[in-house]
Amino acid sequence: MNIIEKIIAKKSNKEVVKVGEELSVKVDLVIAHDVTGPIAVEQFNKIGVKEVYDKEKVVFVLDHNIPCSSVDSRIQHRAIHEFCNEYGSKIYGRAEGVIHQIVHEENLYKKGDIIVGADSHTCTAGAYGVVAIPVGSTEMAAVMALGEIDLEVPETYLINIDGELSPGVYAKDIILYVIGKFGTNGFIDKAVIFSGSTILGLKNDEKMTIANMMIEMGAMIGYIDQGEEEIGQVKETYCINASDLVPVAACPSSPGNVKPISEIKGQKINQAVIGSCTNGRYSDMKVAAEVLKGKKVDKGVNMIIVPASKKILDRMEEEGLTKIFRESGAIVTNPGCGPCFGAHQGLLAKEDVAISTTNRNFPGRMGHKEAKIYLASPRTVAESAVMGYITSPGTVIPLEG
Amino acid sequence: MGNIKGKAFLLNENVDTDQILPGYAMSYPVEELKKVALCGSIIPDFANLVKSGDIIIADDNFGCGSSREQAPVALKSAGVGAVIAKSFGRIFRKNAINIGLPVVVCEYIDKIKSESKEDDEFDVDLVNSTITNLRTQNKYVLNSLSETTLETLQAGGLINKVRNKLVERGAL
Ligand code: SF4
Repeated sequence: MNIIEKIIAKKSNKEVVKVGEELSVKVDLVIAHDVTGPIAVEQFNKIGVKEVYDKEKVVFVLDHNIPCSSVDSRIQHRAIHEFCNEYGSKIYGRAEGVIHQIVHEENLYKKGDIIVGADSHTCTAGAYGVVAIPVGSTEMAAVMALGEIDLEVPETYLINIDGELSPGVYAKDIILYVIGKFGTNGFIDKAVIFSGSTILGLKNDEKMTIANMMIEMGAMIGYIDQGEEEIGQVKETYCINASDLVPVAACPSSPGNVKPISEIKGQKINQAVIGSCTNGRYSDMKVAAEVLKGKKVDKGVNMIIVPASKKILDRMEEEGLTKIFRESGAIVTNPGCGPCFGAHQGLLAKEDVAISTTNRNFPGRMGHKEAKIYLASPRTVAESAVMGYITSPGTVIPLEG
Repeated sequence: MGNIKGKAFLLNENVDTDQILPGYAMSYPVEELKKVALCGSIIPDFANLVKSGDIIIADDNFGCGSSREQAPVALKSAGVGAVIAKSFGRIFRKNAINIGLPVVVCEYIDKIKSESKEDDEFDVDLVNSTITNLRTQNKYVLNSLSETTLETLQAGGLINKVRNKLVERGAL
């Protein structure tokens, strides 16, 4: 068995598990947010059990519409508050941050655990050696009642990345490159492990960026090798040389439409966004602030900075980053999802072109369905914001190294 | 489970969940979701055109992207009887089955499409895993549903199945 199969076996009380086998697996944590939680709550009430399986293991984070973006969203927040009052499950309801970042900051990612989340980017947990299963609201309701989930053991694929990254190439470029190579349907219903010297050498923040976008290849489970035990047998292994990677962007309108920045540079932009569960961490803010320090965002560009958590925002304030952003002309919002999913805090009109550190650029993802969204690293986004058009890292300030 | 009969709406590959149901609509009351079903797709007025029992026939990766259950709920409440595609995003497929909307993989989508005309009606037989074009009477094989999936659909969705499980355990 490989490392993923071992975790599944342990949590289903089996000595061995085989690919394709259907099992009931014990769940260590269930998470949801303000736009998936309400239906889960409603479905849970239909089941009619008196309690959630373990109130310490059910967590809600209000992050998508915070503060509430409409009367309807306020109704959703109230439904979750009421549920948590009644069943005693935990709620983060004061803009503490994006769900996947909060689960990390609260130390709820435990290696070898199984997490079920009513959010597709629950795979971010893979950065910490957690097997994360993204589900919809009804399945979440079932797990809240039963404490287990039915799943089939997937085939596992290994992506090894070895060697040194060139200056200007970041974790975001790695994962975008891989999505571009395998396509948005590359690993539907499969488990994917990232390993190799490049991956093992990354910081946790960077591992989260990579794990976060594994769902963009359709993966059922995304997992980052923790470098502590044998990976074991996989269906197939792919090897990538880190020194071959260059700064890239996912072009409109698919995370799989990936091109080198050198091919698209010069494309005018009206909006630049730094944030989200993909790239809204302190290290991302730091990279952007180094570019924006003493510079102005181009006058044709709205720049929106969305810290992924309150802790990150606190640190940005302490270290003077918020001031650098404001002085450059950027808007710094409260922690949360911001405009990432197209409900508020910076929506685009038909003619707009945005560059963003978020994870999806589907038609309509950030407003009008004809608006164009490019996905790139915080460095590329910050440099492009200053220039007013898409540009390579190293244009505004020199590349280090 | 009876057969599903209706007009087919043809869609291409990678119809993501934002096209099926936009992000802002995730806060809509459930009864309003059908009004925006597929409004971000190449059939933006789908909600006005669809009739009860109609079928969606799509290519690869239908429903890729977000975990929003509002997407299959919107399709089902708009009247969609079944979705047939070359492949599905995993979470969408699960969500649809969990709420009792049949979604079935078919390897003959290209053939179905090339042999059909606009406004053709189809008949989907889930028990025997076939789809028939009612005008041409051409019959195509669907991938069979897994046992768990059939169980869920037969129970009328996952909630009923969970209730049955809890009753068995004496917890309800
Ligand atoms: S930041 Fe974006 S991708 Fe992440 S949880 Fe929020 S809406 Fe989803």
